[in-house]
Amino acid sequence: MSTLVQELEARIAMTPRAAARKSVGVIREIGDGVARVEGLYDVMLNEMLDLGHGVTGLALSLEETDVGVIILGDDTRLEEGGEVRATGRLLQVPVGQGLLGRVVNTLGEPLDGQGPVAYNEFYPVEAIAPGIMRRRPISQPVQTGIMAIDAMIPIGRGQRELIIGDRATGKTTLCIDTIINQARLNSAADARRDAGYRRLYCIYVAIGQKQSTIAQLISVLQDSGAMPYTIVVAAPAADSATSQYLAPFAGAAIGEWFMHHGMDALIVYDDLSKHAVAYRQVSLVLKRPSGREAYPGDVFYLHSRLLERAARVSEKYGDGSLTALPIIETQAGDVAAYIPTNVISITDGQIYLDTDLFYQGTRPAISVGLSVSRVGSAAQRKAMKQVASRLKTDLAQFRELAAFAQFGSELDSTTQAKIDRGKRILELFNQPQHDPRSFDVQVAQLWAVQNGYFDSIPVPRVKECQQRLTEYLQSSARDVMGRLATGDALDEAAAANLKRACDAFAHMWT
Amino acid sequence: MKVARRARQDATRLWRVCLINGRPDAGRVRHVVDGLTETRRTGAAAVLAHFLRLVRLDAARWAARVDTAAPLELAERTAVHAMLVERYGTRVETVFAVDPALIGGMRVRVGGDVYDGSIQARLAAIDARF
Repeated sequence: MSTLVQELEARIAMTPRAAARKSVGVIREIGDGVARVEGLYDVMLNEMLDLGHGVTGLALSLEETDVGVIILGDDTRLEEGGEVRATGRLLQVPVGQGLLGRVVNTLGEPLDGQGPVAYNEFYPVEAIAPGIMRRRPISQPVQTGIMAIDAMIPIGRGQRELIIGDRATGKTTLCIDTIINQARLNSAADARRDAGYRRLYCIYVAIGQKQSTIAQLISVLQDSGAMPYTIVVAAPAADSATSQYLAPFAGAAIGEWFMHHGMDALIVYDDLSKHAVAYRQVSLVLKRPSGREAYPGDVFYLHSRLLERAARVSEKYGDGSLTALPIIETQAGDVAAYIPTNVISITDGQIYLDTDLFYQGTRPAISVGLSVSRVGSAAQRKAMKQVASRLKTDLAQFRELAAFAQFGSELDSTTQAKIDRGKRILELFNQPQHDPRSFDVQVAQLWAVQNGYFDSIPVPRVKECQQRLTEYLQSSARDVMGRLATGDALDEAAAANLKRACDAFAHMWT
Repeated sequence: MKVARRARQDATRLWRVCLINGRPDAGRVRHVVDGLTETRRTGAAAVLAHFLRLVRLDAARWAARVDTAAPLELAERTAVHAMLVERYGTRVETVFAVDPALIGGMRVRVGGDVYDGSIQARLAAIDARF
């Protein structure tokens, strides 16, 4: 009991005695998630304000006679004449490894009912992106587990790769599959106690989505065992426009903690189209001048400062990386619209998902012609580079020739062979959702198709053959697969071993 | 809206005319208000409303309110006012009030600044710690 008394006395003694200066203001107007406050003469831009009733606001508009405050939380109990206090702090969120496995809102408050969030420190939501001299070139791959991406549009750690397409073309599925694959790789490394493998932690920021959709996604992540390596930042459609506007920045702050502490993180912004709409709403209610499509003039800066925070930093500045996968939804395939063109010019490449391809059965519906990764093979491991380097050209030729073949003209044998090979490659790239492929399997399959093992298989049976080949290699040629999994370039011996295994399978198959 | 923006701009211009060395001159302010109430020009009411708001905001910025749990002696009030003048300048106008809810100590509010040394505030701070 006496120690309790001592502790209480110490706490009371720590309470400041001097009357420190506090800056206060009065609400003069409130509505639509925005308050106009008189007073607050010394408030900083983006300073957190306490509006009472547990509601926080952000000073976004510093004008001559009042301050425009955007409200984070429920503004129904706020009234005109209410007092507003400045906190002296910029908006911060809790960050740290304790957030893994949690679902939080924009302010870092838990939404999953699992108690308070364990955090290491607080990071500001708005932060300046790492400068040029703090960065390192991108050379490590993100294995998405989706063969079409890993082979032809490889993503590196620290890159920003835009995922763009119409509604219901598989954009979110692509990102969720990437997250699931990272969880598989992380847990495999944990199982074999491999401290050398750099685990990639994932952050999924849901902006303006339906809560049922977010719940469904969390359920998928839990079922596939990905939640222990993932953080979900949720700002659903029912949240204020302010929360939806700030959620990606909060997610970026969480990711930056990993980057500054020698770890790699991947962040998915789903989606930035709704983010731009939320920012437009906030700006219009603050009576800021509007521009094209009623978006404010700084909508480009909104996304550029967010995406520039994804980087690979040098050893001195954290030795980590933050990879960003922003998602943009287009209307009727219009990639030349305002927000899509903005974000395309910011990112280091895009993956374009085509609706027509989707309904033709090509899933993932990646349009190889319109997709690009500006980092490219610098982020590919040598074995994949070896087998995949010609794929894009081969497929481009196939697309041109396939248009030719539609006219029913007779084709020479070389052309016909190219068309047949192209059809089989496309069939191989089809992949069911939530089923990422490991690196060794991808390399083996691509090597097999490039060396003609699928040429004699009818296209409708290619999928079946692909499945059987994988099962065979994983059960009867483990040493070969182990050699592929190292990622090193295939030398003559490795290629010969792989050829032997494929020959054995081909013999069995026929 | 165009009308409201124009009215605000006019009101701001009129307010700046009323300032002499950064301080509003009472005579000029009265003159402007008389002119706006008597004129028949459209939109004068909106300009007047904005102008009066600027006058009110300026007055509120330099208005000091000192709340104490018990009434202060004249000497104490003079000393408090002198301290506020030293910090905020001669424009500050101090009003004294009694608020028994403070229990003890003093709370001073000048414009947007609040200095709360009352016992009530310290108890609230301790309460927040626990």
